[in-house]
Amino acid sequence: MHLSRKVGTAIVQLDIEQMSPDVGVDGRYTRAFVLIRRRGTPVAQFYVPVVDGRVDMQDAAHALLKQVWTSRWRWAVDDYLGPAVRTSPLPAAAVAICTRERPEDLTRALHAVAALQPVPAEIIVVDNNPATDRTREVAARFPGVRYVREDRPGLDAARNRALAEATASIVAFTDDDAAPEAAWLGHLLEAFDDPRVLCATGLTLPLELETPAQEWFERLSPFARGFERVVFDGTRHDPVDVAPCGAGANMAVRRTLIDRIGGFDEALDAGTLTKSGGDHEMFGRILAGGYRIVYDPRAVSWHRHRRTWEALREALYGYGVGVYAMWTRRLLLEREFGTVRHAARWLRFTQLPRLWQTLRGAPGRVPLDLLFAELRGCLAGPLAYFVARRRARAWVERRQ
Amino acid sequence: MTARSVSVVIPTHNRRLSVERALRALCAQTYPAEAMDIIVVADGCTDRTAEVAAGNWPVRVRAIEQPPSGPAAARNRGADAATGDLLIFLDDDIEVSPQFVAEHVAGHGGARTVVIGYLPPELQGRHDFLAIMLRAWWEMMFDRMRESGHRFAYSDLLSGNFSLSRALLSEVGGFDERLRCHEDYELGYRLIAAGAQMRFAAAAAGSHHEYTDLGRALRRKRDEGHADVALAHRHPALIPALPLSGDYGRLSRRGRTLMRMARTRPAAGDALERIYRGMLPLLEGVRLRTRWRRLVDDLLLYWYWRGVGEAIDAASFVSLVVKAERAPAFHDVDLRAGLDAAARQIDDVRPEAIRLRWGPMVVGTLDVQAGAEPLQGRHLRSFLEGRFSRRLAEVMVLARLLRPPSVD
Repeated sequence: MHLSRKVGTAIVQLDIEQMSPDVGVDGRYTRAFVLIRRRGTPVAQFYVPVVDGRVDMQDAAHALLKQVWTSRWRWAVDDYLGPAVRTSPLPAAAVAICTRERPEDLTRALHAVAALQPVPAEIIVVDNNPATDRTREVAARFPGVRYVREDRPGLDAARNRALAEATASIVAFTDDDAAPEAAWLGHLLEAFDDPRVLCATGLTLPLELETPAQEWFERLSPFARGFERVVFDGTRHDPVDVAPCGAGANMAVRRTLIDRIGGFDEALDAGTLTKSGGDHEMFGRILAGGYRIVYDPRAVSWHRHRRTWEALREALYGYGVGVYAMWTRRLLLEREFGTVRHAARWLRFTQLPRLWQTLRGAPGRVPLDLLFAELRGCLAGPLAYFVARRRARAWVERRQ
Repeated sequence: MTARSVSVVIPTHNRRLSVERALRALCAQTYPAEAMDIIVVADGCTDRTAEVAAGNWPVRVRAIEQPPSGPAAARNRGADAATGDLLIFLDDDIEVSPQFVAEHVAGHGGARTVVIGYLPPELQGRHDFLAIMLRAWWEMMFDRMRESGHRFAYSDLLSGNFSLSRALLSEVGGFDERLRCHEDYELGYRLIAAGAQMRFAAAAAGSHHEYTDLGRALRRKRDEGHADVALAHRHPALIPALPLSGDYGRLSRRGRTLMRMARTRPAAGDALERIYRGMLPLLEGVRLRTRWRRLVDDLLLYWYWRGVGEAIDAASFVSLVVKAERAPAFHDVDLRAGLDAAARQIDDVRPEAIRLRWGPMVVGTLDVQAGAEPLQGRHLRSFLEGRFSRRLAEVMVLARLLRPPSVD
């Protein structure tokens, strides 16, 4: 796994109160992704050059101050007030991992889940449309893990199965290629004191940035949504604008959401023709129902991005398909006309400028094949949605 | 130890099926049935609601019939007939949880406690904009009360689900039967003035089956306009807290126009209001949430001021609002000694208004708030986290800068 050539970005974590002027990393890196914490809470992230195995602290100090300049005033008040005392116990939670044929990743994820504090009431591995027995074997090695096999293909079918299998009131989802930190679950659960909160999401960071594909993924579609806790309230926030709400790799939902707004759309996300979008479609429906989503950056999970260039291209294609598939549903089935404006904005302010930069050869340009992959995906999205929807229905009918 | 005797009072008007549902839930309580009784007050009912009492209930159920005289009168009749030491007032459209009565009883620390229960709105799967707005409104009321540092006020008393001792209710004189609505706010005002301590009990919950449509919500606003004028006459000290003396400086032009027409030219205003109301389904059809919401807010405002305008003429309105308050005496609280010490100081002194300081610098002032409970130490944290957090940060940084150099 470790490459000997001079590529890749080191992942470095520093505490703002114990910053040393000299931070060493492996000599093969030329750059570092630095996460700054303050008493455990993430407060900033930035890239800095690495010279001879040393992080350039001049650069780091500059980048850090720029990011925390406003929030640091708030810390004095937080310290003065001290931590808020919880008056009610946290709700019981199930942790669900939906997976398909990724035994190494699943092992890492299960190790991370086994270390969670508080300990989840249930741990469920949903094996989605498996080809082999490997997932079952991995799950069997961990005590207290329930293995469930879901033959309907698709991540959203697996998520719905997890919701049906769980008995706890909250179900926290982590991807098989992610490793949540020990405090992850507790921070997500805190959000559910408010009965209007149906979903909580956290901060997802790159587990490794070893290959160009992983670096480009982190640049083009990072999961991180900043270091401020945000409450997205459906009575005020536009339900079409769901990207800031987080991602399905790191989220917990209230199980009663099935009765209130329905389960995940089984025509969407990995394993179906639409390839992604199931999480964001759910966020949109939560907001449209007037409920709330809480993004809490203290709920940290580390995600292993895809390592090869082909897989990256496929992922970006998949995002294109998923986004447009989801918007197709929102526009045609839910008559959310704001979707059109949203799509036009994405094209006008992100996709076209990126394409233009690449075509004129600007520095830092995005490789053309990645841009094309995403655009091709967007074009394929609407049709993919209707075909996937018909297939999902056919599955249900076949079962009956 | 024997269980405290509890009477549940349910006023109702022609909703027999709802009453039966409420009774079924009340008869499946964890609380001992022999310590409970239920009084249904049928206020001008024509659907033979009183007959429900004849059912085979495991708890003692009585029905009282009265000619139509409003919910305040119905609640007073029920309280007069009650034998329990503790009274729980419950609306007829609520289906309570099995721990409901037990949680109300457990919430009563002292004799002067008023326990306000939680009413999660149940909207029968409705997803229309109005349902979403109503649910958000209800949940927001309870969100605030759920915070440990919430400063309770007269308007937190929601008559649909609250309890107090029979002695406390008769001490303050029961509900004011002259009010058509907001009779709960009015009682809340007198309870707080009498030193009652309000408390929120989230576990004393009942699903609230809400059937309100827009027409009803607007009519209700008009009644609130009437009621607020009555409240203002009855308790002039409350005037600054009422919406009729609120600040409408940031209203849109449409809002200002509607508000003005409501009091000066109601006939033309009603015609304009009908046109605007007709636009709402169109806005909802194309999912223009924000525009829909703003328009509904303006219409609600219109009907509130229609109500105010009907209840009072312009000249006496001015004299009503102008009735000035007096300047409060501020008590200085220095925050440097720490949050706990400052909170203790507030609890010891019980000041009516506070000036928060950091040494010589002022962080902010907590003014007299009409109709709210006296300031307590537990309120302090949420003020510092919210309203004053920015100023507190500034002051703390300044204090560090202005510190005299230490002599080494």
